[in-house]
Amino acid sequence: MGELMSETDDSAEMQDVSHAFVASNLGYTIDGVEILSNVSLNFPSGEMAALVGHNGSGKSSLLKILARQLSPTSGSVLHEGRDLKSYHNRSFARSVAYLPQDLSAGSDMTIRELVSCGRYPWHGALGRFSDLDRDKVEAAILATHLEAFADRVVGTLSGGERQRAWIAMLIAQDARCLLLDEPTAALDIAHQVEVLSLVRRLAHEAGISVVIVLHDINMAARFCDRIHALKSGRVVASDKPEAILVPDRLRSIYGINMAVVTAPDLSYRLAYPL
Amino acid sequence: MSRTVIVGLAGLLGAVALFLFTATQHLAISAWPSVLFGPEEPGLDGIILQYGLLPRAGVAIIAGAALGLSGALLQQLLRNPIADPSTLGISAGAQLAIVVATLFFPQILDGNRTIVALSGAGAAAAIVFALGWRTSFEPVTMVVSGMLVGVTAVALSSALTLAQGEYLMSLVTWNGGSLSQQDWSVFNALSLELVVSLVFCALVMRPLVLLGLGDASAQSLGINLRGVRLAVAVIATALAGFVAANVGLIGFVGLAAAAFVRGCGIRKPTAVLALSPLAGALFLWICDGAVQAVSGATGETFPTGAVTALIGGPILLWLLPKVRAARPTTASHFIVRRIRFSKGISGLLAFLPVIILLAFFVGNDGQKWTLLSYADAAELSSLRWPRFLAAAGAGGLLALTGAILQRMTGNPMASPEVIGVSGGAGLGFAASLTFFPAGGPYSLVFGAALGGLAAMSIVLGLARRQNFPPEKLLLAGIAVSSLSSSVLAVLMAAGDQKAWQILAWIGGSASAATPATAVFLASASIFVLLAAMLMVRWLTLLPLGQATAHSLGVPIMSSRVLMLALCGLATGMASVLVGPLSFVGLIAPHIVVRAGFVGTKEHLVSSFVLGALIMGFADFGARTMTFPYELPLGLFAAMVGAPYLVWLVGRR
Repeated sequence: MGELMSETDDSAEMQDVSHAFVASNLGYTIDGVEILSNVSLNFPSGEMAALVGHNGSGKSSLLKILARQLSPTSGSVLHEGRDLKSYHNRSFARSVAYLPQDLSAGSDMTIRELVSCGRYPWHGALGRFSDLDRDKVEAAILATHLEAFADRVVGTLSGGERQRAWIAMLIAQDARCLLLDEPTAALDIAHQVEVLSLVRRLAHEAGISVVIVLHDINMAARFCDRIHALKSGRVVASDKPEAILVPDRLRSIYGINMAVVTAPDLSYRLAYPL
Repeated sequence: MSRTVIVGLAGLLGAVALFLFTATQHLAISAWPSVLFGPEEPGLDGIILQYGLLPRAGVAIIAGAALGLSGALLQQLLRNPIADPSTLGISAGAQLAIVVATLFFPQILDGNRTIVALSGAGAAAAIVFALGWRTSFEPVTMVVSGMLVGVTAVALSSALTLAQGEYLMSLVTWNGGSLSQQDWSVFNALSLELVVSLVFCALVMRPLVLLGLGDASAQSLGINLRGVRLAVAVIATALAGFVAANVGLIGFVGLAAAAFVRGCGIRKPTAVLALSPLAGALFLWICDGAVQAVSGATGETFPTGAVTALIGGPILLWLLPKVRAARPTTASHFIVRRIRFSKGISGLLAFLPVIILLAFFVGNDGQKWTLLSYADAAELSSLRWPRFLAAAGAGGLLALTGAILQRMTGNPMASPEVIGVSGGAGLGFAASLTFFPAGGPYSLVFGAALGGLAAMSIVLGLARRQNFPPEKLLLAGIAVSSLSSSVLAVLMAAGDQKAWQILAWIGGSASAATPATAVFLASASIFVLLAAMLMVRWLTLLPLGQATAHSLGVPIMSSRVLMLALCGLATGMASVLVGPLSFVGLIAPHIVVRAGFVGTKEHLVSSFVLGALIMGFADFGARTMTFPYELPLGLFAAMVGAPYLVWLVGRR
C-alpha cells in the first residue's frame, strides 16, 4: 500500500479500479417487505457520492450492502471489479472503511487508541503493531486536526470532535473507499460543514472514493460530486447535483413540491420545500 | 376472536378432562351428587374429593388467575412483554421473607403468613422498581435487575435452608409451589383477595391503558404517572404475594398467560388484561392436572410450581425476539482516571500476602480468632493450600470470563453468572448426579463443564438467529438460568439424598477441593488467561459495536464462537467448585475498570488477579465466619457482590 491517502494502489494490478462500486439489480427484502428493488448504480473511483431520499427509502440499507454489513437478497456488487462476496474480511477492510450511524460506543478509549483500532485490518489479531502502523495513526490524527486532543478520552469530546475522531479511525484504516452513514445527523450546522469539508478534502486530495448517506439535500449538493436519490427502495435520480436541484426532480424524490433558488453570493443552488 | 374462543374452550376441555381423570380414580362421577349434596356421611374417597381435589382445582384456578392478572398488569405498566412476578424477583422476595420468618421469627409467621410474604414481595418489588426508575423502566434493565434480585433471594433462601438442616425440608417443597389442599380455607382466602384486587384493578384500568402510549404522552393527557404506577405496582405485587403466601413459589404463570393471549392475536391492552387472568387460571389448572395425573401414575410427587417454570422458561426464550431491545444507556458513561499498569497491578498484588496470611495463619476455633504459629500453619497447610488454590483459580476463571463477555457483548451486565453458563453447569451437575450416582467428583466436573457448554450453545443458537445483539444474549442466558434453577427445584423437591448434594452445590464449597483438582483448576485458569491474551485485539474492537468491528475485518461469527466456547469451558470448570452464584465474574471486571485499568490487556489481567484475590479471601471468610459450620463459598462472595451490583444498576 502506498503512502497515506495515496492515489496509486499497487495491490490492485488485475482489478478494474475505475469504479469503487458497481451495483447491479440489487434487491433486499426483510420478512417479505421490499427494502430495495432492482437498484443498479455505478460509483466511479475518486468521487464523493451522496445517497439521499426520505426516511425508509432504503439509502442506509444500500450503504450497508456496499459495506458488507448486509447481504443483498438478489443482485450483486462489484468492488474494484471483484465481487463483494469474494473478499476476505480483512482484505475487504483494507479497501473499504465504513462509519456506522450509531457511534455511542468506544467512549472510554483515548482518541489515539480509537484511531489505532483502524489498523486492525493490517496487523490482524496477533500481528505486531509496527512503526508503519504508528505513523499511519499519527498521520490520521494530523489530517483530522485532532493532535491537541489525541490523549483525551473520546467520551469527553463534543459531538463534532467525536465524529472527527471516528473519521480519523477510518483514515488510519488506509482504505480506498469510505462509506459514511449520516455522519452529520447529530451535529449542529457548523460541525456539519466542518465534517463534510474534511471528507471532501480527503476525497479530492487523496483520491479516496466516498459514499455518504445524507439527509440534507443542500449539503449533499454543496459537497458531493454526484447524488443518487432513492425512493421506496428504487433509484429515482442519479446525476450531478445541479441536475438534481430542479423542482421536478426534487418532487419525484421527496414527494412534495420544492423550489430552487440561487443566491448572488453562492456558487451553488439551494432547495427548499414550498 | 373466534380462534381465541376455540383455544380457550380447548384449554377448558383439557383441564376438565385432566381433573376428571384424577377425580374419577377416586370416585365414579355417578357417586358425586350424593357425596357433595347428599345428607349421608361421605366415605374416604368422598372426603378426598370434597376437601382435597375440588379445593385444589379451585386454588389452581384462583392462583392462576391472580398470577395471570399480576403478570399482565406488570407487562402493561412496564411496557415489557417479559415482565412477571417471577422475572422481576417479586415471588422470590416473598419466598425469602417466609424462609427468614420461619427460621428466626416463627412466632410472627403463625397467622401472619400473608403479611410476611407481602412484605417480602414488596421489598423485592421496591428494589427492582427503584433500580429501573433511572432508566425509565427500560425493559431489559428491569428484567436483569429483577432476575438478579430473584437469584440473590433464592440463593439466600437456599443457603439458610442449608445452614439450618433437616426441618426446613418442608420449605424446600413449599419453594417449589405445591397446590395440595386439605380444605377450602386457602381457596376462600385467595378468592377474597383476588376479588378485592380486581376491584382496585378496575379503578386504575383506564389510566393504565393510556400508560401504554409512553410516559410523555400519558403525562400530557393529564395522568398522574407516579400515582398510577405506584397503584398498579402495588396491586400486581400484592397479587403475587397472596399467591406466594398461600401456595408458594409458582413462576412464569403471568408470563405464559399474557403470551398465550397475545399469541391468539389479541393486541388491545384492555382485552389482554381481561383475558390474562382466564388464561392464567386455565394454564395453572392444566399444569396441576397434569402433575396429578403423572404422579397418580408414577407415584412420584413433584410440585406444580416447578412444572410451570419448566414451561415458562422456554416461553421466555420464545418471547425474547419480541422484546424491544433498547440500547444500553451509554449517555451517563463514566470517565475514569487511568492508572499505569505496573503501578496498578502491584497495588493489587500487594493484597496477596495479606490474603495468604489470612488463609494460612488465621483460624477461628468457635470462640475467638487466633493467629497460628508457624509450626501449626505448616501442619495445616496441606489441608489449606488445595482449597485456597482452587478457590483462587476459580475466581480468576470467573472474573476473566466476565471481562471477556462484557467486552464481547459490549454489555456491562454480562457475566458467566448472568449469561446462563452457570445455570447450565448446574443442570449438568444434577444430570450427572442423577444418571451416574456412583461417578465420583470427576463425573461431576465433567457433567458441569458439559452443561455449561450446552447452555452456551443454546444461548448461542438462539442469539445467532438474532445476529447476536448483546441484550438478547443476556436475556437468553437469564432464561436458561431460570430454567436450570426450576429443574434443580424439581429435583430438590423430590426430596431424596440428591437434594442435599444439589443444595450444597448451589452454595458452592471449597472444602471439596483435593490437591489434584486444585492444581487442575489453577493450571486451567493460567491456560485460559493465556488463550485470552491471544484475543486482545478482538476484545478491543468488539466493544466498538458489531458494525465497526465487522467493517474492520474482525471475523465476527468465528471470533465470538471461539470466545464463547472458551468462556463456557472456563465457567463450567469453575462453577463446580464455586456453585452457580458468586457474581465475581460480574463485579471484578467492573471494579478494575473503575480503578483505571482501561486498556484491554490490562483489563483482562487485572480482572483475573482481582477475581483470584476475591475468591481466595471468600474462601477464608466462608471457612471461618461461622466456624465450625462452613458457609458456602459462592454465598460468601455473593454477599459482597450483590449489594455492589444493586448499587451499580442503580447509578447507571
